[in-house]
Amino acid sequence: MNWKLRSAYLAASIAVAVAIGACGSTSTPAAKGNITIGGFAFSEGSVLAELYGQALQHDGYTVTFKLNLGSREVVAPAIKSGQIDMYVGYAATDLEFYNSGAGEASGDPIATTAKLNTHLQSLGLVALTPSNTVDQNAFAVTKATAAKYSLTKLSDLAPVASQFVLGAGPECKTRPFCLPGLQNTYGLHFKDFKTLDTDGPLTRAAFKNGSIQIGLVFSSDADLNQLGLVVLQDDKHLEAADNVVPILRQAVATDEAKTVLNSISSKLTTKDLVQMNSQVELLHQDADAVTLAWLQQHNFSS
Amino acid sequence: MSFLSKVIAWFADPANWQGSDGIPTRLVEHIELSAEAVAIGAVIALPIGIVLGHYGRFGNAAINLSNVGRAVPSFAILVVAFQAFGLGNLPIIVALTALAIPPMLTNSYVALNEVDPDIKEAARGMGYRDFAQLLRVELPQAVPLLMAGIRTSAVQVVATATLAAEIAGGGLGRFIVDGYAQQIYTEVFGGAVLVALLALATEVSLSGVQKLLVPRGLRLQKAPAAQRATTFKTA
Amino acid sequence: MTTPVFLDVVDPWINWDWLSTHLPLFLTALQDHVTLTLIAVAGGLVISIPLGIGAHRWGVLRNPILTVSGILYTIPSLALFSLLVPYTGLSGLTAEIGLISYTVLILVRNILVGLEAVPRDVLDAADGMGYRPFRRLIAVELPLALPAIFAGLRIATVTTIGLVTVAALIGVGGLGQLILQGLVDNFHTPLVVATVLSIALAFVADLGIAGVQRLAVPWSRSG
Repeated sequence: MNWKLRSAYLAASIAVAVAIGACGSTSTPAAKGNITIGGFAFSEGSVLAELYGQALQHDGYTVTFKLNLGSREVVAPAIKSGQIDMYVGYAATDLEFYNSGAGEASGDPIATTAKLNTHLQSLGLVALTPSNTVDQNAFAVTKATAAKYSLTKLSDLAPVASQFVLGAGPECKTRPFCLPGLQNTYGLHFKDFKTLDTDGPLTRAAFKNGSIQIGLVFSSDADLNQLGLVVLQDDKHLEAADNVVPILRQAVATDEAKTVLNSISSKLTTKDLVQMNSQVELLHQDADAVTLAWLQQHNFSS
Repeated sequence: MSFLSKVIAWFADPANWQGSDGIPTRLVEHIELSAEAVAIGAVIALPIGIVLGHYGRFGNAAINLSNVGRAVPSFAILVVAFQAFGLGNLPIIVALTALAIPPMLTNSYVALNEVDPDIKEAARGMGYRDFAQLLRVELPQAVPLLMAGIRTSAVQVVATATLAAEIAGGGLGRFIVDGYAQQIYTEVFGGAVLVALLALATEVSLSGVQKLLVPRGLRLQKAPAAQRATTFKTA
Repeated sequence: MTTPVFLDVVDPWINWDWLSTHLPLFLTALQDHVTLTLIAVAGGLVISIPLGIGAHRWGVLRNPILTVSGILYTIPSLALFSLLVPYTGLSGLTAEIGLISYTVLILVRNILVGLEAVPRDVLDAADGMGYRPFRRLIAVELPLALPAIFAGLRIATVTTIGLVTVAALIGVGGLGQLILQGLVDNFHTPLVVATVLSIALAFVADLGIAGVQRLAVPWSRSG
């Protein structure tokens, strides 16, 4: 083609490219600031981080997500050093983490969170209003095991604990709501402890091949029934109020941010969380897509 | 207390030397897993490599197997084995054996294939029949490279067995993985030191075995080819 | 309780729907992986060339360099990364220090072997033609050592591509992150696809370097 036509094409392409480029950039309203959210290394951790984080995003904050960081042993130093500004915790477990296992947590989420804040204050952190959504440590056995030894609650384990192997993540050996708690509150001494993962595929596989008889799961897990696992009732109330509660650095805990986050906490229910977990864990849907759907359902996004 | 003195304290603590989580238990687990994988791998790889090398067949395949084996990420193989076979030692042994085979197969092929044809002809002339020739003449010639392959395989397997802890396996990798999960870096460092020492010990002891097995006549020759055997590493 | 051999997961080994909607994940991981590998190999080359030349020139350095490098090479990569983390953190720097250590070990050995393999009469001829030692090194010895160096580059690159997957365990990006995700999420697809990509990347890199070798060193076979 001759040069006139060619330069016309060139000009047109450039114009189109510029137009596309201009349309691509969203005209953002004055950003309200940056917040980095950290997430625990299990799928519910990603779900909760995405849920609260996207709510802040739709309110105009610039949010950076750092998901799958690890357990609280990794996340807590990260927020203390400012590498992250916020994470979504669980009231009782967080309290016992920051008070070095002093045993202050109770079944009352408000009181537990208040105690948590007394410890967070000096660290420059603050816990917001706890949600009614709960996810506690839970100990499960297979249905067959429960039937064989007539187990419905944790106290029932007393006569058979010495024959059982307990499986959980490495931190279970030192966490007050885990192995030490089972030993002290229930007097259970297991045959052995097998280091697996925190409520992940390794734990489930261990149930399947019989290398553990009892394992740590989360009460909000979506797949327990499908796996043939039954949770033993915590009759001596070892597990305390593990209500979902966002924990922030005081520097980013503005009134506006707190309002947004507290409204999510008040609308979220355990049932919702289990539902979102099942979509992520069983259907392999992305956490951010699942939480976006919830936010849209509850009129949080435009 | 400096970090290194904390690590020394970790080694000095008697609690770390007892029980199912203690250093001796983990060390034994690690050696058992590795030895099993190398043994099974040797039983599979050596006869195949030796026969192929003796007859000079499928040379390209045998040599390229090493390249393929080197390209396979060992961490991925362990996870695939876990998802296919579940928990326990079976998936670990399967994955480790798969990684152990390429160096031994390739090296045994090359070892037999590169036996000096003059020597083979001389043996023929002396009246050796095929199998006896293989056994009495060619294999001793092939020992340096064979042993180098086994040594490479073993060090490779010991290194990869460290990763088995990621799929709930035992062994020294447990200290690294568990310590990391709980952010107890003294445990991580201690585990890393132990694994490094075990890998070194494997290399050194098998080098010693190799020296013992090489017939004196061969030892006098240089074996530059042996150098290329040690460059296999995926973990 | 019946224990099926295969885990009770509904997904196939490759879920094509999921894959087609998550391609950007793999592209990012691939990019990170290639970057980490390039830095490790380039860094290794830059360090090992003077080291190799030095070990060749000053024979007294030869055995110490080979011994120390041999020792470091046997250290499993997860162990080496873990030993560095308390000092350099959970970062790409830690991964690169470890990875470059391994590439240096491979390359120094090969550079040395390459230089030592230059025939004595060629060196004599060069001397006879009036080459000074430095020029002789640049114009005669190094070019003749190229086949060995290229062989080392191929091994170093393929090895590094595999070791970068291990670095995911200290939080570094790359295809290893997708392997880890497959493990943690009990999901086959990212695991399988990332593994296949890693192997493919290794082959492409290997063939690429062999191709460059054929161009650069036409008188040698790239085998």
